[in-house]
Amino acid sequence: MSFLHIHHVHKRFGETHVLKGVDIEIEKGDFLVLVGPSGCGKSTLLNMIAGLDSISEGELRLDGQRINELHPSKRDIAMVFQSYALYPSMTVAGNIGFGLEMRKVPRAGRRAAIQRVAELLQIENLLKRKPAQLSGGQRQRVAMGRALVRDPQLFLFDEPLSNLDAKLRVDMRTEIKQLHQRLGTTIVYVTHDQIEAMTLATRIAVMRAGELQQLGTPQSVYDDPNNLFVAGFMGSPSMNLVPARIAEKAGALVALIETEKATLALPIVRDRQALTDWCDKAVMLGLRPEAITDPASANRDGGEIFEADLEVDLVEPTGADLYVVTRLGGTNVNARMRPGSPPQSGTQTRFAFDVSRMVAFDPDSEARIRDRASVGSAPLASSA
Amino acid sequence: MSDTASPHGKGVRERLQHWLPKLVLSPSCVLILFFVYGFIAWTSYISFSDSGMMPDYAWAGLRQWSRLWSSWTWGIALHNIWVFGLLYIVSCTVLGLLLAILLDQRIRAEGALRTIYLYPMALSFIVTGTAWQWFLNPGLGLEKTMHDLGWESFSFNWLIDANMAIYTVVIAAVWQATGFVMAMFLAGLRGIDGEMIKAAQIDGAPAWKIYARIIIPQLRPVFLSAIVVLAHLAIKSFDLIVAMTGGGPGNATAVPATFMYSYAFSRNEMGIAAASAVFMLAVIAALIIPYLYSELREPRS
Ligand SMILES: Nc1ncnc2c1ncn2[C@@H]1O[C@H](COP(=O)(O)OP(=O)(O)OP(=O)(O)O)[C@@H](O)[C@H]1O
Ligand SMILES: [Mg+2]
Repeated sequence: MSFLHIHHVHKRFGETHVLKGVDIEIEKGDFLVLVGPSGCGKSTLLNMIAGLDSISEGELRLDGQRINELHPSKRDIAMVFQSYALYPSMTVAGNIGFGLEMRKVPRAGRRAAIQRVAELLQIENLLKRKPAQLSGGQRQRVAMGRALVRDPQLFLFDEPLSNLDAKLRVDMRTEIKQLHQRLGTTIVYVTHDQIEAMTLATRIAVMRAGELQQLGTPQSVYDDPNNLFVAGFMGSPSMNLVPARIAEKAGALVALIETEKATLALPIVRDRQALTDWCDKAVMLGLRPEAITDPASANRDGGEIFEADLEVDLVEPTGADLYVVTRLGGTNVNARMRPGSPPQSGTQTRFAFDVSRMVAFDPDSEARIRDRASVGSAPLASSA
Repeated sequence: MSDTASPHGKGVRERLQHWLPKLVLSPSCVLILFFVYGFIAWTSYISFSDSGMMPDYAWAGLRQWSRLWSSWTWGIALHNIWVFGLLYIVSCTVLGLLLAILLDQRIRAEGALRTIYLYPMALSFIVTGTAWQWFLNPGLGLEKTMHDLGWESFSFNWLIDANMAIYTVVIAAVWQATGFVMAMFLAGLRGIDGEMIKAAQIDGAPAWKIYARIIIPQLRPVFLSAIVVLAHLAIKSFDLIVAMTGGGPGNATAVPATFMYSYAFSRNEMGIAAASAVFMLAVIAALIIPYLYSELREPRS
């Protein structure tokens, strides 16, 4: 039995149908990250778990118990808000202890709990200050302290880092991950930053327009996306999506891609069964930038490498990596190469394609074309 | 503008731009200096003179001030303004806050109710005073209506009762200003972060505790503004009392403003009147100046 079970949950605000039947299950100790573009219903779902919004249809179960009708204070959850929502008239200690005070914890017990959390978050020296006298990062810690002090069954975070500057965001991200590993808490975390999602999550739920697109481990969502949306949303720089045709050549299945000079024939090794039905039809191929490299840095142990000479359009060094842009099938394609000796733009250079990582999508329905056996995560019953 | 403009022309235009705002503002500046601050100075001087019906510039030291403080009517006026001001400020603040909290519960007719409560503020004190004078007049208003309806024993004659008349003024003044205070509190309530209230709900605070511990403490600046506005309205309350009771019965509802008016214009004691006016100014200044100072400074800190 799963720890948190979101079962066919719908949300309607009058006429607008915001959540259209979301199903998510996680285990105790999981770190679930809800990602998706703005307005897709992440905060709404989180508020429903917290009990701040009513559930129009469906069921929420926490540790086997139905919590649909339970008041927020009775659900044994804590929430960290995007604006931190600290009480400005109370000190930091008052803020952290407020929940305990409302639960009638005696003063001595409260003080000990506040002290313990303050030590954990290294904010002991701030306990007497008011929120207005804190920096953004310190407020963030206090907001987390307020959640941690009650030791709840479930933590909810609604974009807790989006108000911090880039550097602090990375630091706090690491700290949240360490806290999770140390305390073994169960967390539901909302963000629209897919790097945050990848680094923190044990499970990612990608949402779009009130529907769950994919639920799985970060790696499965990254390597094995359910549809074009997930493929394009996760990863930075994003997955290359190239129009191609499936054909049979010398008894083997290939994907034909038009380039300026010639037609590239990439051998198909993944989802071969499913793609046989797509012979002579157009598909959309997805290849991560790191699956297109220079021949020397290609991954030859696990992967299956196909090499071709292509014209270099543009070279973009980032320091750690070198992104080389070329044109395939009429679109720009990013390849990740070693920064050592960059090719000149306008010249021909050799590219190595790791075709074992190539995925294909139906260009009309945008769904993934995959073999039944290779389904890595629960397939999505799309209603659209 | 091109770089080739002659240095002379540029200088004239710049100087004009520099001086124009000062030129435009200076007449009103002079007028205000004269008619406000000039007369304040003049009144202050008169309070140290021997003036009776007409101004008399002979220096009389503190004579008018000591006559003021030994005046029986001035004592009543001070007592009344104290009672009136305290009841007025406390009732308006409490009722205004309650109404604002009720209206903040996202009820449907909010727009209409807000207008209804706010409307009395649009009336002048004279209209309010006259209306309430009719309404509370035993021969005309509430009492007569009740008698006409057959409730013969009903009696409400505070307006003509020397001990109670000041409370009728309080009722009328509260009726007028409560809506305004409510609007101030409502604006304050609307400015409170919704996530904070959600956080308090998750923390397990019942609604009244959320108000008492989290929301109302954040309305402190609104309380301050409301109290300062009400306090200076109370001290200036002249027209309302004139329209409702004329300071009577007897001197029962005299306040410093009516005291000043009657000494200046019907009792021909300009010196005492000036002293009472300066005293009122000093009290208002003691309230308003620190308030303005803190309000105008705050955004910068
Ligand atoms: N009280 C409400 N009444 C009507 N519509 C609402 C209400 N609250 C949210 N919505 C709508 O529900 C949708 C989802 O909102 P939600 O706040 O959950 O988005 P989100 O995924 O958290 O977006 P963001 O990343 O911008 O925070 C939005 O289209 C929003 O307009
Ligand atoms: Mg949101």
